[in-house]
Amino acid sequence: MISRTMHGFAYDAIHDEIVVTSPLAQAILIFRGAANGEERPVRVIQGPHTQILGTAGGGLDKVSVDPVNNEILLPVAPGGVLVFDRAANGDVAPKRLLSGPDTQIRGMSPVAVDPANNVLIVNSGGAMLIFDRTASGNAKPKAVIRGEKSGVAAISTIQVYPEKGWVIGGCDRAPGMAGSSPAICAWSVKDNGDAAPRWKIPVQQLTGYSPSGIALDPTNKAVIMSCAGQRLRPPNGIMNAVITFSWPEIF
Amino acid sequence: MGPSGDLQRPAAQNAGETGVTSRPPLRNILDTDPIYTSVAVDDMHDEVLLQDSNTWSIRVFNRLDNTPPNARATEPKRVISGSETDVQFNSCVYVDPKNGDIYSVENDIGDSIVVFSHDSNGNIKPLRKLKVTHRAFAMAVDEDTEELFLSVQYPPQIEVYRKMASGDEKPLRRLEGESTRLSDSHGIAIDTKNKLLFVNNWGNISDYKVAGTGRFESPSITVYPLKAGGDTPPVRVIQGPKTQLNWPGAMSINPDTRELFIANDVNSSILVFREADTGDVAPARVIKGNKTRLSNPTSVLVDTKHNELWVTNLGNSSATVYALGANGDVAPIRMIRSAPLDKVSLKFGKTQAVAYDSKREQILVPN
Repeated sequence: MISRTMHGFAYDAIHDEIVVTSPLAQAILIFRGAANGEERPVRVIQGPHTQILGTAGGGLDKVSVDPVNNEILLPVAPGGVLVFDRAANGDVAPKRLLSGPDTQIRGMSPVAVDPANNVLIVNSGGAMLIFDRTASGNAKPKAVIRGEKSGVAAISTIQVYPEKGWVIGGCDRAPGMAGSSPAICAWSVKDNGDAAPRWKIPVQQLTGYSPSGIALDPTNKAVIMSCAGQRLRPPNGIMNAVITFSWPEIF
Repeated sequence: MGPSGDLQRPAAQNAGETGVTSRPPLRNILDTDPIYTSVAVDDMHDEVLLQDSNTWSIRVFNRLDNTPPNARATEPKRVISGSETDVQFNSCVYVDPKNGDIYSVENDIGDSIVVFSHDSNGNIKPLRKLKVTHRAFAMAVDEDTEELFLSVQYPPQIEVYRKMASGDEKPLRRLEGESTRLSDSHGIAIDTKNKLLFVNNWGNISDYKVAGTGRFESPSITVYPLKAGGDTPPVRVIQGPKTQLNWPGAMSINPDTRELFIANDVNSSILVFREADTGDVAPARVIKGNKTRLSNPTSVLVDTKHNELWVTNLGNSSATVYALGANGDVAPIRMIRSAPLDKVSLKFGKTQAVAYDSKREQILVPN
């Protein structure tokens, strides 16, 4: 059931499950955390009632989970977020859809939920769009972090650290533009407007790699990044890497 | 100076200030050896070409190279790689038997076929570049009609171009549509003598224009007339549990015996079907086992001139060679290794995403 284009997925530490999409089959697969080999998923969300839709060229490649509120969040075409019950299985309708021009969500953008601050964040159009967690329909974001000082860029995943109220994503990344040096930044979920990031790791400057995925390891106060699709080839010529930085400042 | 010796600006949690961390990474996970995904043999120059998806390169070896057991690796004669080459997410390599030109299919964001002259080496521009549909995977060429067949994973289709096409040139025809039963298409092979086209499919299906149409089928091989276009149904389908198909990769045909060879990635096997097979049928032969040194094979090539079968192994940085009639758990005749004999590759294809399993303290990386 697993195929290509898994560009963002999630581990649910509360329920010990792995949530990933099968984009070409318009499906969300949920595996046991200890799954190994050719193990079948414990649940599959797929079918006409799901409203799951990608595009010809991409999409359905990212998924997020909110284990506190028992929800799975799937970015869908033409620009929105479908929210399913975490325990959903089979051909089930979503609980809600966040989509429409007022949302400012363009395309299938990474999403994350901060259950402590009760916000849902979408990284879209060079911005962090911050919504009430249960926003649905054509809702406006309650705050938008965007602008030159903010440096907000787009990569495959964003993460939240609710304990400190951070949203962590890509920054200083403008493919093909002179001076672009992709990095990882942390903003406050309470920021709004052209807010400078509170913290930054200049990843490409330090490693030669441009980050594409992010995971957090709070116990060891570390951030883990995956790096792929390097438009600026790294000096060592190796095009795939997973890099771990100590980042105690954000934890 | 920070507590771990790094230079950084003072703590900056206040609005308007940014604390920049400049300490080096704690750890890097990367594979320093090539990860081979495709193979081509150049009979004119007695060379073999291996497609490396880890460093985005095409590596050229002597056809009879055989890495000694105590050697770490065999060095290639030439390497085509670098930003000028446009080689990226390279999934298939083909050599023109008439002049030695090298064709490379660029998957993912590459979306092209780039062509190099035989003697190309280093970071050089391709002779020509053909833009193709996103998610192109494998190619085959009918050298009689000079038609180039290209599989596209999704939306699943077979595009047929002029062999010499370049730039934005459009395909001569497309095979696509619900009746074709194409689904997440990967390997492709053609039998020019019997005018047949073979495609393997992973069975991940949906109509990207209609929400909720996704479904799964078991993997299959679909067979069409060589000139098929439009929404043409297959003349035969090989599909079912007896077939053992599991993430099938490249395919190759022996026109003399009318056998179809499939690199069967997840099962670490090479499956051999008869061209006329249909339905839920077991392979006529299976090459599999510890002696074979097969490890996640993704590409296979029949060399009828030398009666040899070439395989690339994603899992151990090698290409292995067998007799064309090999069956069962047989040792390779030769092996070109680009890493030590006991190498277990990271199998990285595209490390776009990452997750952290805090319960097991494990990093999860999809490919």
